[in-house]
Order: sequence, then C-alpha cells, then structure tokens
Amino acid sequence: MPPRAIKAILEGRRSQPQQLIEVLQDVQADYGYISEEAMRAVAEGLGVQPLEVYRVASFYKAFSLKPQGKHVITMCTGTACHVRGAKLLLDQAQGQLGVKPGDMTDDGLFTIAHVNCLGACALGPVVTENGASHHHMNPGRLRKLIDNLRKEEKAEVSHD
Amino acid sequence: MLQYVTINMDGALLRVAKGTSVLDAALEYGVCIPHLCHVPNLSDMGACRLCIVEHVVNGKAKVTTSCTLRVQEGMVIKSNTDKIQRLRRNIAELLVAEAPNSRAIQDIAARCGVKTVRYPFRNEKCVLCGRCVRVCKEMFAANAIGFVGRGKERRVASPFGKLSEFCKRCNTCLEVCPMTITPCAGPMKPGEEYLCNKCESQLMEIASAPDQCFFCDLGEGFQCSRH
Ligand code: SF4
Ligand code: FES
Ligand code: FES
Repeated sequence: MPPRAIKAILEGRRSQPQQLIEVLQDVQADYGYISEEAMRAVAEGLGVQPLEVYRVASFYKAFSLKPQGKHVITMCTGTACHVRGAKLLLDQAQGQLGVKPGDMTDDGLFTIAHVNCLGACALGPVVTENGASHHHMNPGRLRKLIDNLRKEEKAEVSHD
Repeated sequence: MLQYVTINMDGALLRVAKGTSVLDAALEYGVCIPHLCHVPNLSDMGACRLCIVEHVVNGKAKVTTSCTLRVQEGMVIKSNTDKIQRLRRNIAELLVAEAPNSRAIQDIAARCGVKTVRYPFRNEKCVLCGRCVRVCKEMFAANAIGFVGRGKERRVASPFGKLSEFCKRCNTCLEVCPMTITPCAGPMKPGEEYLCNKCESQLMEIASAPDQCFFCDLGEGFQCSRH
C-alpha cells in the first residue's frame, strides 16, 4: 500500500488535539517513520503547537523520528539476554553493518535497535528481524542471518 | 474572599490562604525549606525534590515535596527533622555530582549542609529542573522549549532542534536557569569534592539555624524565592 498523504490521514480529525497519538500512529504505520514535515503538518492540522507534537513523538518508543531500514534487527539486551552475551550480538551487528543502534544503513536495508526484554528470556539471546524472533543467537548465526537477508535483497533486485 | 486554613508547621500554627503550597506558606513565615525548581508564580512540578517535608497523616509521616503539596485545614508538617535533613543532604549531594559547575547548586549544597560528595561527578549541563520550560510556557505563553525524550534521553529542547517561531527572544529561560550562574572558583572540582569552608561565617550561621530563614547569601545565589 503506498503511503497516504498526511492530508488523508488528518481527514475528519482536524482541530482535534486529543487525536494526536492516533494520527501519529497512522503516520508511523504508513511512512515507517515520522519526519519533521509530517510533524509540522500534523501540528497545523490538529491545532497544537509543533513542540507538543515533537514531545509526544520523541517520548514513545513506538514512534521513530528517523527513517527505518527495510529490515529492523532488534537485539534484546535485557538481563537474561545480557548475561548470555547480547553485547556480542550488538557489536557483531554494528561491526557488520557499520551503523549505531537506532540508525539506518546507507542502502536503506537495515536498522539496528535494542530493547530491554522481549519476554522470552529462556530462549535468549533473542534477536528479532521485522517481528520474527530468532532464539539462542550467537554472533555467527547473526552474521549469517544478515548475510542471507542481503543475498535475498540482491536476488530481488536482479529479478525485477 | 480569601479563605484561610490553619496548618501546623513544626509545632507552630500558621494561618495561610487556601490553595497555597506548603512551600510558599513556609517561606512566607520564614521557615527555610531549600528549593531549586520552584519559581514564584509558576506552577510546580516537583523536579528537584529538595523541598521535601514530612507530612503526618494519622500519626504516620509521609515524605513529600512541599511545593506540590497544597495546604489543608489541620495538616501537620515537619520541615526539618533529622530524617528530612539527611534525605535533603543526599539529594543536594546528588545534584552537585550531576552538575557541580554552578554557583546555584554549590550554594544549595552548602545550605543543605553538604561537606563532601560521595558520588562521582558527571558534569552535566542541565539538571532538568524545568524552570525555563515553565517560565516560557506560563509567563510568556510561547512554549518555545520543552522536555523532549524519555528516561536517560530526557532533555530540554526546542521543536525539531530549531529555534521555535514562537520564541520572543526574551532570554528569560537563561535568567532563571540555575546552571548559568558562574561557579565559585574554590571547591567542588572533580577530584576535590569538598566545600572549601572559606565562607566560614555562612557555614556557622547555617549550622546554628538550619530551619529558619535569615536571608542567607547562599539563598541569593540559588535564586531562593525569598530574595
Ligand atoms: S534565603 Fe536562605 S535561609 Fe532564607 S529561605 Fe532562602 S535559603 Fe533559606
Ligand atoms: S532478557 Fe531478552 S527476552 Fe527477556
Ligand atoms: S522546589 Fe519542590 S521539588 Fe523542586
């Protein structure tokens, strides 16, 4: 589905400041992130100050202010995963992709993130890739995972 | 018409207008409760936690911030028990450790009786007291800066990191900021975390009257609202 224009998202909700979070959720869902222009448009549409929109958007983890890669690789760094070497996974991903947590690679394929417990501690260290969980990860398996994703992307590109 | 209530503050009965905060009532009657984030005529958010008092309900004492506590008929407040002094000193110590490079913070620490700091120094530039945010929002109705982010990332920022179009460039945010007050050249350097005790007279007065206001010079330093 192509992203709806901000105008369409705001439709029927103009001048209703209480709708702020819902509107931001829709922007996030359609665009994958919330840009400054989007926030300004939302502020104007709902009749709240830009600062207010920025505060809300920056507060919740569900909103991302930076573009997200096609594959979001999330490392669990909660206690259980931490003691089983989540740090090594984070280092591996950072080294392999050359970006910091929260940032996107230049080709727009990957974003690294970390969370504080996915609720599957017995399976740790846990890594999720766009919501699909991978359990008992180690740096080697993570490297393969990223390599495979890359390969798939290359294959897709050469197909079209 | 103003309605009044009577509260019991450290054993003294005070008559104060309904709706004032316990901190304001105390300051009005000359009871010293050190405070940092409170600014007269602005709303209070209880950020610095320095103004804690014991609020006795049914014989049980609860520690709360007095700036966010409204007076009620017959309420019992203890502003300077040993426990409060200990807690307050600890909070002041943490403040110093967070941001030692401000005269305001150093003076608060001195007023709270901090002699040494047991925590590593972080040398932050902001203590998140929220003074600037509230003055901008409530006094100048500009809302040009606000708290952004959450947890460790919480900081004061303007929208999208750019100067807001509502900013009137009045600079009041800088005026009320405790961090803009040049630090005393003597103490509280990393590695030498102590009060130099050069302001001997001040410190003696402080020790002799921990709970009364004598319009201390320290208070002037940290913009105590009695000044
Ligand atoms: S001027 Fe000094 S003594 Fe008086 S209330 Fe303020 S801090 Fe306390
Ligand atoms: S700590 Fe990783 S799933 Fe709980
Ligand atoms: S003055 Fe009450 S918490 Fe800061």
